[in-house]
Amino acid sequence: MLGRGAVLSDPEELLVYESDGLTLFRALADFVVFPTSAEHVSAIVKLANREGLPFVARGAGTGLSGGCLPAEGGIVISLMRMNRILEIDYENQVAVVEPGLVNLHLSWAVGQRGYYYAPDPSSQQACTIGGNIANNSGGPHTLKYGVTTNHVLGLEVVMPDGDIVWLGGKTRESFGYDLAGVFVGSEGTFGVATKVCVRILKKPQAVKTILAVFERVDQASAAVSAIIARGLVPAAVEMIDQLTIAAVEDAFGCGYPRDAAAALLAELDGLAVGMDAQVARIVEACRDSGAREVRTARDETERQLLWKGRKSAFGAYGRVSPAYMVMDGVIPRTKLPYVLSRVNEIVAGHGLRVGNVFHAGDGNLHPNILYDPRKPGEEARVVEAGAEIMRLCAEVGGSISGEHGIGLEKADFMPFIFSAADLEFMHRLKRAFNPTGRCNPGKIFPTRKSCGEAGPVAYRPHPIEEKGLAQRF
Amino acid sequence: MDIAVLDKLRAVVGPANVLSDVDLAPYVVEGRTPEAALFPGSVDEVRAVVEIAAGADVPIVPWGGGTAAAVGTPAPRAGLVLGLRRLAQLLEHEPGDLTATVEAGMTMATLQSALRARGQWLSLDPPDPEQATIGGVIAANASGPRRHLYGTARDLLIGVTVVTGDGVVVRGGGKVVKNVAGYDLPKLFVGSHGTLGVIVSVTVKLRPLPDDERLVAVVFDRSKDAGAAARAVMGSDLIPNALELVDAEASRALGLDSAVGPGGCALIVGFDGVGEQVEWQCGELGRITAPLGGRAVRPLPEEAWTRLASAARDAFDPPAAVMRLIVLPAAVTEAIEHGASAARQRGLRSAWSCHAGVGVITAALASSGALPEPGPIASVLHDWRALARAAGGHATLDWAPLAVKSAVPVWDDAGAAGRIMQRLKASLDPHNVLNPGRFVAGI
Repeated sequence: MLGRGAVLSDPEELLVYESDGLTLFRALADFVVFPTSAEHVSAIVKLANREGLPFVARGAGTGLSGGCLPAEGGIVISLMRMNRILEIDYENQVAVVEPGLVNLHLSWAVGQRGYYYAPDPSSQQACTIGGNIANNSGGPHTLKYGVTTNHVLGLEVVMPDGDIVWLGGKTRESFGYDLAGVFVGSEGTFGVATKVCVRILKKPQAVKTILAVFERVDQASAAVSAIIARGLVPAAVEMIDQLTIAAVEDAFGCGYPRDAAAALLAELDGLAVGMDAQVARIVEACRDSGAREVRTARDETERQLLWKGRKSAFGAYGRVSPAYMVMDGVIPRTKLPYVLSRVNEIVAGHGLRVGNVFHAGDGNLHPNILYDPRKPGEEARVVEAGAEIMRLCAEVGGSISGEHGIGLEKADFMPFIFSAADLEFMHRLKRAFNPTGRCNPGKIFPTRKSCGEAGPVAYRPHPIEEKGLAQRF
Repeated sequence: MDIAVLDKLRAVVGPANVLSDVDLAPYVVEGRTPEAALFPGSVDEVRAVVEIAAGADVPIVPWGGGTAAAVGTPAPRAGLVLGLRRLAQLLEHEPGDLTATVEAGMTMATLQSALRARGQWLSLDPPDPEQATIGGVIAANASGPRRHLYGTARDLLIGVTVVTGDGVVVRGGGKVVKNVAGYDLPKLFVGSHGTLGVIVSVTVKLRPLPDDERLVAVVFDRSKDAGAAARAVMGSDLIPNALELVDAEASRALGLDSAVGPGGCALIVGFDGVGEQVEWQCGELGRITAPLGGRAVRPLPEEAWTRLASAARDAFDPPAAVMRLIVLPAAVTEAIEHGASAARQRGLRSAWSCHAGVGVITAALASSGALPEPGPIASVLHDWRALARAAGGHATLDWAPLAVKSAVPVWDDAGAAGRIMQRLKASLDPHNVLNPGRFVAGI
């Protein structure tokens, strides 16, 4: 069906596909297949249905919730060979791409003409557009530009029964139910996207990046609210705490003051006219909140260096801890001071350390719990602390995932924020797309029995992290 | 409706909140009088009403301000109007979070003024803000000129609470601006026209009010040139919040008819931001459009924003039909030219306005005489839909008399996606009680 070299079934080769970026969970597929067309995918899915095998699509495997694991065995459909850009329509500011295209490669392809693809997850050098669709991925610049769903206009999808269907299209508006809208973020449980229409944006005329340094974490949190209160919508507002700053400085020397309790990295973009006035407002907001130092990157080199500090934070944790677990939760922005201090208490209460580097402007937390997997019992404490942090996010009116998805990892936490009726409604929605449940089983919904072999095991870095190709977010 | 059922409903919401018989005049849609109209005062009352109506097999028509009540295939049965006007509280607005949670029945105008008092706004500007409710705007996916920069309801809705056809309260999304936990239920309800659940409250993302905002017009003698200018603006560094094209007929609503001659077109552009940004962009706009045949940039008054949202529809009083054509942004002027010419060939005048940057066109057809003949009107509408489809798009008949609707389907053919929509409806509203028979694919 697929030709030679497009099917793996040797257990040793299958090992490569037993986990994603969250190596706590593992599950082995029976086959991994590499289709090159929607017709291939359709034939694979029909075969899986005939044989009664579950199947799951997989992009680069950079996900952080175990979402692309073959939880019940069966077929992993790797989309890495479907990585072409099919059309770039500058006049209508839309591109049609295959799902295996690496996120950043799209921005490279349209960059010369002054365009870019806005969603920028930190793994964008490796992660694929298809994977971004499954998880409705975000990134630092989603504060102003929105997440993946705000940039996807339409998709060609192989449905769980093997039918090939278009949901939406190249136009900015479709009619009837927003099927493309519900497909994005469905974590691969509604079918397999085989073509994607995405918006491409004009690059902004001007960009300014500001670093504000604080003696206390609560001052940095207050500055986030102060920036918002001054009527600004920055492109990004990121926070980095002391432990993370120290790790980053040890590793890369990006110019963050190592004795600071927290730093904010804020970015403004847009018209060159009026930019200085807006920068001045951010500087003022930070100073009024008690910033000890506020500086604006003078040139592109300094700007890149500041961002390097932010983007390489996860890699830098390797210097201070043999392992870490990245959490992903969202809270209302105004709850930042309270939640950050509670997160520190929770983790300390389990005898562990935490580094925070996150999208403060969105209220999207990423506490990184540091631990040593060789120490007996430490991993179990990490998992417990993580669950408490999720419960805390839920208690303050937040969510248990801002961009990593539920996958296997958080399925049991869903009742923290959704009632049985909410989950039942979602399940009915799932049945409309995926009545047999063979398409990516065992994900999102709280049920342990379907997780098969998957379960917590020791951390190890993802291969692409080891090669320095991508960072964890 | 069975008297016993009506009595049960009265007991739930109180007799004062139930309308029947002659009082139902405002709720008559396309000549059909609903069996009753009732106005629950709490989510629990909505739940109870849905349960009773569903149990008695009476269709439920969720009703906000009624501005989109005539959108859709004519109803097979008028059913029960479930009005949300008593659920009209702003439940939460924390400016520091840039979010608000609001009950579905609050009008857009009331919501915006409450938000404005605290320096913020919901960046959604549909027509008829005094009547349209937030719940209705989301259910109808209504939008206005500022969608060019700020998107539509799907980009702003982050949480939704609905009562399902089973009378169960379901919440989707949440109250935070970024959230991927579970399926994106808010997307499901945007544009669903009350067919999947009765929206009782929503949580939306807000924006700070800009320092300054201005709406300006550049007039062109030929619509082709105006279209080229719109594309030039899109390819420039300018960041307009609205980019509209309005033909001579539609420009009457904006008081520009003396400036826009026959065959001409006005390019209407909005800018917001700090003062010097607005100023600079207006200047740039002149420099970009002048070589393409644009005359001087002229400012429009504040009230032009609301008139703009319905400029084509309001060109004729009343229009014979209103259609929305969705095409690729670069194809709008061609669609307008061909569409207007198709109408002229049948001896009918038409008015056109569009959100040029996103390819959303509204076209209105004038009635030719005292009694509009459905024949030529239907023919023109068929032509319009065909040209939208030929341009890779689709068309929805937003408004037309029954005689026209019987000749021209309201919704385009959704093809294979339509079958998924049917499965979705069957799964989520298995007893088919929510606004049945009015939506896409016979839903």
